[in-house]
Amino acid sequence: MSATTQLPATPPSGRAPAATTAPAPAPAPRRRRAALRSERPGVRLAAWVTVVVCGGFGLLPVYWLLATALTPRDQVFAYPPRLFPAAPTLDAFAALASNEQLFVYLRNSVVVSVITAVLSVLVSAYMGYSFSKFRYRGRRSLMYLVLASQMFPQALLLVTLYSVFSAYGLLNTYTALVLSFTTFTLPLCVWMLKGFFDTIPDELVEAARVDGASRLRIIHSIVLPLAAPGLIAAGLFAFVRGWNDFIFALTLAGPDKQTLPPGLVNTFIGEASTAWPELMAASLVVSLPVAIAFIALQKYLVGGLTAGAVKG
Amino acid sequence: MTTPIPHTALTRRHLFQLLGLGAGTAALAACAPSAGGSAGTAATGGGAKTDFAFSSWSLTEETAAPAIQSLLGAYGDDNGVSIEEVSYPYNEYISQLTLQVQGGQFTGAAHVDVAWLGSLAALGKLQDLGPLAEGVDYTEAGLTAAQFDGVQYGLPWNIGAIGLVTNSAMLAKAGVDEFPVTIDDFTTALTKIKKLGDGVIPYAASTKAAQLKDILIWMETFGSPLLDGSTVTIGDDASVEAVTWYKELYDKGLIAPDVDRFDARSLFAQGRTPIYDDAIVGRDAVVTESPDKDLAGKLAAQSRPVLAAGDTPRALVWGGAIAVVDGEGAETAADFARWVTSDPDAAREYFEERGLPPATESALALPEVAADEFGAQFSERITATATSNPFWAYPQYAQIESAIAEQVQAVLVGSKDAKSAMAHAGETAQGLID
Amino acid sequence: MTVSEVHTTKHTESQQAPRRLSDGQFAVLLLLPGVALLAGVVLYPLVAALVTAFFEQSLVIPGRTFVGLQNIVDVLQGDFLRLLGQTLVFTVGTTVLPFVVGFALALALNTKIRGAKVLRGLMLIPWLVPGVVVSFLWMWIFNANYGVMNALLETLGLVDGPQAWLAQPGTAMGAVILAKTWQSFPWMMVMLLAGLQTVPGELHEAAEMDGAGTVRRFLAITLPHLKGIVGLVLLLEFIWNFQHFDIIYVLTGGGPAGATQTFATAVYETAFHGFDLGRAGALGLLWMVLLMGLVVVYVRFSEKGEER
Repeated sequence: MSATTQLPATPPSGRAPAATTAPAPAPAPRRRRAALRSERPGVRLAAWVTVVVCGGFGLLPVYWLLATALTPRDQVFAYPPRLFPAAPTLDAFAALASNEQLFVYLRNSVVVSVITAVLSVLVSAYMGYSFSKFRYRGRRSLMYLVLASQMFPQALLLVTLYSVFSAYGLLNTYTALVLSFTTFTLPLCVWMLKGFFDTIPDELVEAARVDGASRLRIIHSIVLPLAAPGLIAAGLFAFVRGWNDFIFALTLAGPDKQTLPPGLVNTFIGEASTAWPELMAASLVVSLPVAIAFIALQKYLVGGLTAGAVKG
Repeated sequence: MTTPIPHTALTRRHLFQLLGLGAGTAALAACAPSAGGSAGTAATGGGAKTDFAFSSWSLTEETAAPAIQSLLGAYGDDNGVSIEEVSYPYNEYISQLTLQVQGGQFTGAAHVDVAWLGSLAALGKLQDLGPLAEGVDYTEAGLTAAQFDGVQYGLPWNIGAIGLVTNSAMLAKAGVDEFPVTIDDFTTALTKIKKLGDGVIPYAASTKAAQLKDILIWMETFGSPLLDGSTVTIGDDASVEAVTWYKELYDKGLIAPDVDRFDARSLFAQGRTPIYDDAIVGRDAVVTESPDKDLAGKLAAQSRPVLAAGDTPRALVWGGAIAVVDGEGAETAADFARWVTSDPDAAREYFEERGLPPATESALALPEVAADEFGAQFSERITATATSNPFWAYPQYAQIESAIAEQVQAVLVGSKDAKSAMAHAGETAQGLID
Repeated sequence: MTVSEVHTTKHTESQQAPRRLSDGQFAVLLLLPGVALLAGVVLYPLVAALVTAFFEQSLVIPGRTFVGLQNIVDVLQGDFLRLLGQTLVFTVGTTVLPFVVGFALALALNTKIRGAKVLRGLMLIPWLVPGVVVSFLWMWIFNANYGVMNALLETLGLVDGPQAWLAQPGTAMGAVILAKTWQSFPWMMVMLLAGLQTVPGELHEAAEMDGAGTVRRFLAITLPHLKGIVGLVLLLEFIWNFQHFDIIYVLTGGGPAGATQTFATAVYETAFHGFDLGRAGALGLLWMVLLMGLVVVYVRFSEKGEER
């Protein structure tokens, strides 16, 4: 099973500067293709079977999401369900357009997730750099503590966090959400970025020091740019954390700043009934832009990680 | 709804008994103000109107929001104030509201399920709305439902009950012409309905934990008081019989697994069940969701079958009230609460939008309301004999209900027998009350 | 990419021009923002919550009374062991299954089959659908009375009559794990794809020339190369799933009859629906003690394994 086929097609941009200084030699594309040609039929078959089985698992529910969104309200509960909606309708989608509140939720979600991503990358970068380039006692234990900090029941933290944020007047603000989510993304991001910084040669840092650059400057103008793909990858992961959370958003954000997950529940899971088509339609509509953005940034997701977390 | 309710008096007496117990617990817990002790009394006087906040789970719900928002708009315009809207999903509403009230984040008018009044009142921040209720012709049942510890913590808005809703056409098709009066006849009727085939569920009773508390009303039907003074009676023969009967229906496929109120409504709307438990609030949902355009005409409300003919049918009080949380804007919020629950025009508008029964005598007499046959039937056959859940008197009632629900569920799925499960449920509930 | 020797270069004081901060101080300074966040958002609330374990304290009734170990005894005498077992089943299931699916897909999509690029993008969707919707979607799929899962299986003749997937203790946990797997396999896939792309092609070629088969090459070259990333994703997933709340809570609420209750959902139920902060704190305290044990073992183990 050849493991490197995609590289020539999508060179993760971040590797270029690293590659010039790192000793890893880039094999010539021609030789890779030769390896490909030798890919055996058995391997191809296995690959296809995997794609069909696991891909089916991944995509059939997405199909069902779409099919439900297109089903008229009075037919959603028919049994047996129709695998293809008999009279598909865009009613559910049309209903979304007139629901202003949904756009408020969407805006809140985007604001919270983006700020979380940026802040998380910044904080994690400092922390990861410290873990990567310095040696001190307790460093390793601290790294594991950062990881372990995420094993506690967040519902338990919620009661106290609520009163803490309340005391500082931060309830019902973006700040409360951003601070919480940023903290919860630290383990992944710190570890990812630490791995990334490990691949940046110390010589580079030393050279800059000899030239008289301050340590902060070295981080900001040499290390971070080199680590850009890793930062983007970490940022995308942090984004998803903020994007997906339900219970913190529900409790800390208050009605004005509520994000999509509680917002969708609020809107479509009513006291009397669940508006399935509308809920599904709304989920699709809000996921799509994010999915497209992620697909566009895919090469960073993979490429940024390539040089980084894999060494963790 | 004008007839005094026989059981509520008993319930109220219970509440008074509990007052002593509540105070005892409070002292034991060494908490500063005893429950309700610090509650202010609503001022009825004039004074300048101020902005305030109004919270309701319905404010963002697609189907319910427009009706409420239009009322808020009307009050706001008339009085020159702006009303801040606060909303949480129904299932999380009371926990979130509790947090907000306790943290001082929320003051103003709060739409509450009457079941929640006890928990909210325990925070000691609800106003006594008794003086406001004077001179308004709220129904006796409504006033009682919106009280806790004998204090009028809420003004009744839409008070009704949860009872059996049926599809008369389906029942007729199954050969059930007279709705059964006794439990034995009911079981026989369900067996008949089962013969309709086609995946029909004879009775879409709640079997998911969230609404499994519906079983409590059947326990009462079988003769268990649930609570005698401050002694939990769950575990007694009647409660065990009720659960055994439920399990029998479950095993025979007369009730179905994985059903909560939402599912039951959907099944009913699809014509896959002729009987389920609901309050009037569910009517809109089943009618609009149904492919059967005549469903509204087939709806009927039925008295819950009883153990022996002649017994009083049981039903659970269910309804919405408005409570006022002391603090900024509370005075105007209280005025709003009275207006929205008693103003005839507001009542008419809200009834027309949502079909929920109002809680004042004069609004009930409105021609629009009186013309609602199903509503009238519901009041007569169900609401008339409705009683509150005795556990609502305790702030821990939700925990009590879920402890019971979990045990009943264990019986349904066959991991425990009814007797030991109910004994365990009773012990747990007792532990929570003590 | 062989960078292991880089680690050995250490900053030493001698290399340093005169500065106000020593390297050690600077390193600590860099840690500060993160440590401050962790202390404020995790540590302080955690300690405050754990303290309530020793009190009878309600969310709705002001004030509290010291009750010693009563809450802890109650929890231990209750269904603590069952909770622990279920939490472990959930955690292990939702760590292993997404890993298998994600790894299989990563391997498959790393070959040159047509459409691999598009598929990689599409596979991200489950991860990006807002979390609660994942629960609702699967609740919708698994529903006993109108769900598509039953319809499909009945058409294929695999089940006899509708099954109540979420309402039977025997299947509910499996259903919950499946839903969580669906949500988290994409990120596993992405991480592992990234790892796969660092496996040097020439190693494979050399091995192939020596006559090593696909499986051998996978075991001898690919797997050892992925050790780091595999360890990291498994560890992170384990940690996250141990305290995962959203999907279980919305999908089953911990039911039926408590069969899918984990520590996370039990703590929430106890604190937010039961208003019993003391008991929730006791649950948390026991959880914490267990964890501490785990962490100590893990750190010991990993420090012995590699001194870097």
